[in-house]
Amino acid sequence: MIVSYGEILLLAICLFFMGMICVVTRRNLLMILIGVEIMLNAAGIAFVGAALRWHSLDGQAFVLFLMAVAASEVAVGLALIVYAHRHSGTLNGDGYNLMKG
Amino acid sequence: MQTEWLALLPLIILAAGGSVIFGIGAFWHQVPTALLFGLAVFTCLASGGTALLFPNVASNLSGLLAMDAYSSFYTVLFTIITLITLLLSYQYARQRAFAGDEFLGIILFASAGMVLIAASCHWLFFFLGLEMVSISLYVLIAIRRGDGPGIEAALKYFVMGAVASAFVVFGIAMLYGATGTLVIMKSLDLAGHPDNRFLLLFGLSLILVGLCFKISLVPFHLWTPDVYQGAPAPITAFLATGTKVALLSMFVRLALYGGDGAGALFAPALWTMASLTMVVGNITALAQTRVKRLLAYSSIAQMGYMMMALLAFKHTGVAAVIFYSVVYAFMDLGAFGTVGLLSPKESDRDVIADYQGLGYAQPGKAALLTLCLFSLAGLPATAGFIGKFMLFRAALEANLVGLALIGILTAIISLYFYLNIVVVLYMRPAEKKPTSAITGNEASLACFLIALIIFWLGLFPSSILSLIEKIVA
Repeated sequence: MIVSYGEILLLAICLFFMGMICVVTRRNLLMILIGVEIMLNAAGIAFVGAALRWHSLDGQAFVLFLMAVAASEVAVGLALIVYAHRHSGTLNGDGYNLMKG
Repeated sequence: MQTEWLALLPLIILAAGGSVIFGIGAFWHQVPTALLFGLAVFTCLASGGTALLFPNVASNLSGLLAMDAYSSFYTVLFTIITLITLLLSYQYARQRAFAGDEFLGIILFASAGMVLIAASCHWLFFFLGLEMVSISLYVLIAIRRGDGPGIEAALKYFVMGAVASAFVVFGIAMLYGATGTLVIMKSLDLAGHPDNRFLLLFGLSLILVGLCFKISLVPFHLWTPDVYQGAPAPITAFLATGTKVALLSMFVRLALYGGDGAGALFAPALWTMASLTMVVGNITALAQTRVKRLLAYSSIAQMGYMMMALLAFKHTGVAAVIFYSVVYAFMDLGAFGTVGLLSPKESDRDVIADYQGLGYAQPGKAALLTLCLFSLAGLPATAGFIGKFMLFRAALEANLVGLALIGILTAIISLYFYLNIVVVLYMRPAEKKPTSAITGNEASLACFLIALIIFWLGLFPSSILSLIEKIVA
């Protein structure tokens, strides 16, 4: 392999934490959704790298399922965000604070 | 081949039932709700029935799913939880205009996801089950149209749930990278291996963080009160019981498979989280003025008790956790369910003061709420008493004296807020006549079932305990 597993792992971990930082710091709901997507895709990269490392197909099969799951999660998430935006007119996560205590 | 199909039948029935309901809804626009409801109930009964009739048929389907006695037990439990949720929510959903095919179909899919979690012995299937449950619940929480708190709750649950899922799946990727296997048992067996130790621990801790988010252990519990408060009450009942019991079944599996190797490394972290959860859950509940928020903190605290017993997995802890998770499911179904049944049509009856005098206006439902609160508090003759007794005994046998002490002290504190609601229900007359929506016979049947099960488990626990001993042996 030209690229070693360690390098792939490093890339995946960097992407995962970048996605996490995006989720934590951004207040826009769409940006939070994008951050989650980056985290999921980082996992996908790590799976493919590990599958190459162990010469097994399990990891690649997992990635297929992961893509399907991520797509359905985004579909539901976007629908929720559109619905919430229609109802309250804001995309800012901090704008949703009806409940406290 | 034959036995494999038989073993998968409960799962297939649930998924097929959900699909059929969606199909009917797509092609028949004016479909009577009663028909869809009947189909959903029938699906639950059929799935639970097949799991009861054919337990233990195939213990290992190509290393992916274990349809053994353990998962059959949980399949029956999840179908009962789903059935009671359906009965509780039928009139509730009709009056609030969300009783369509989406609602019933999604509940069945969520329940299939729970079965998948309990049956999984491969990380892929565990992840798929987890996502099936989570994505279904994102939709269910926001299903009441134009309901501000519901939307907010769904958004919060979505963001938290999606991040937690990302943690779990990235953790699985690390674990796979370190061990080269996705079979849960094998990957945990390799946890003691010195190679790739860092990667393995990193992966396991990510998975653990994700799971702790989902069962809301302190300090990952912050979403719980908001989501439980905002969701429609019968959905909260389903969310609080189904997902948590499913994930506890996974925790039990993890403890049984890898408790000695990997589990020992995480014992201090779990010890801290269990004690924090018991303390924070019970103390914060004292300050609540809203019933659903109070019950949310109470459910957080209950998770703490179970996590305590899970640490005693080498002794009687596992049986105690399974027994208590059954008890917990019915207590919370009853508590959140009656909150829904006592609510007027506009919004759920939430402020504790609004329950004043309801014990006389709605004697049956108030009595069930009282029973569930007594059981949550752990008063004798209810299932909660036996369950808590077993949890604390398991902790003491495993020499977790500090944890058990914290648990017993916080359980005593919790008496105050549980009994406070009962006092409000019965001790003061209502200022104005409380209005509740009509609830129907289905809900009464559900209430009767819950009361029966709580008394049965409280007075004759030995029958189910011997069953639990058998399935974990």
